[in-house]
Amino acid sequence: MSASNIRKLAFLVLFLVLAGFASAEFKGLRYFKEKVVVSEAFTEKRMLSDWLPNIKGTWGDTPVYFYDSGKPGATVLIYGGAHPYEPAGTIAVYVIMENLQLSNGRFILIPRADMSASTEGILGNAYPQYLHIPTSWGQQQYRIGDRETALIDQWPDPFTYVHYPSKQNLAYQDLRNFNRTFPGRADGTLTERMSFAFMELIRNEKVDLVIDFHEASLMYPVVDTYVTHQRAEDIAMMAAMYCQLEMPMKCEVSPKGLRGLTHREIGDYSDALCVLIETAEPFIDRVVGRVTEQLMIDGKDEFLERASEKGLLYTSYDINDAPTIDHRVARLLTASLELIKMYDQFYPDKAVEFWYPRFTDVKTNGLGSYLHDPSAADPSRVFEN
Amino acid sequence: MVILQEIIHYIYLIMSGFFGLLLVRALFKRTTRTNLVYDIVYAYAVIPFLLRALRIR
Repeated sequence: MSASNIRKLAFLVLFLVLAGFASAEFKGLRYFKEKVVVSEAFTEKRMLSDWLPNIKGTWGDTPVYFYDSGKPGATVLIYGGAHPYEPAGTIAVYVIMENLQLSNGRFILIPRADMSASTEGILGNAYPQYLHIPTSWGQQQYRIGDRETALIDQWPDPFTYVHYPSKQNLAYQDLRNFNRTFPGRADGTLTERMSFAFMELIRNEKVDLVIDFHEASLMYPVVDTYVTHQRAEDIAMMAAMYCQLEMPMKCEVSPKGLRGLTHREIGDYSDALCVLIETAEPFIDRVVGRVTEQLMIDGKDEFLERASEKGLLYTSYDINDAPTIDHRVARLLTASLELIKMYDQFYPDKAVEFWYPRFTDVKTNGLGSYLHDPSAADPSRVFEN
Repeated sequence: MVILQEIIHYIYLIMSGFFGLLLVRALFKRTTRTNLVYDIVYAYAVIPFLLRALRIR
């Protein structure tokens, strides 16, 4: 073998070894399991494929947790993880799952709406793979995923994404965006089928109120905001006013001409009321410095502060009082809590009696105090996602 | 339609593997751009095709 070929072979082997290390990291994230200790109110775990069997065995299938009081009241569906790179949504659902007390009505909780997207990081952005929440018993570890369904589960992307059934043209990658594919279709792409399965769950389980947890960049106008279907406008407006006691909150009505979004299509294609909640995430703006786990946890970024001083942000930002992960989860908790309480006032015959921690509780006691130790819990109450 | 999508998906995965092999072949048997830098580029460029073909990334 010539010296030239030996050199080429050496380079190939070197890069294959590097690919091996990268593969181990990718596989680690793909198969990492998050643990949750469900509260006493938990009654049943099902899978999303129960409502659309053709996603069974795919990475689009995801656990669905039922908390049923057995007494009359509304059915509330809360989910996070539609965009896993907005992890406060998923963690807020976990906090509800671990602490919910229920006297009337029913909760359906889904922490990982797009399971596939949660199993890979964002291409090219050098994001951290995990975040760790400190607790009194150690650290609870969660995945930080991508925005869209993983390419290894749904590929290739089309040149243009034509939304079904509106036929509106959307960005090509939005065909893998769980919050652009509603109401979905039973024989569509994986993400469309996941959305359709959600719609089937909502219709078959007669869900009354759907709450979709998200985080938003601070340079995006819809931040610290309810985005509501017009049928839920009164409830969301009133809830926003009550939120002001603890935190600022805005409210916008879902545009009728922008298709595929949950707050538009769930409202149009089911009897449920649907509200999406955005909280400020100082991690996904393009102007921030290094995107590290520390930034995800403490939210402190000097470039965002500069942008704030220049009036470029759509919410207030102070680096000394930055929106930490505790703060963002706390916001989602109170925002959802006020929505449900307002639903109770509008529909007293379907009132839900419940408790889970709110903004002030989490800010006072810390997020970690509401997460329980899986190793010390009754194994029948520990689940993996 | 789901089956058709699956077929297209797997065709693309096979294509990834095919183009990865083409790159390996070009690494060893090419007549132009023969200097060291291109050896590194060709060897490095195999990685994404390999990871995609193996459904790792």
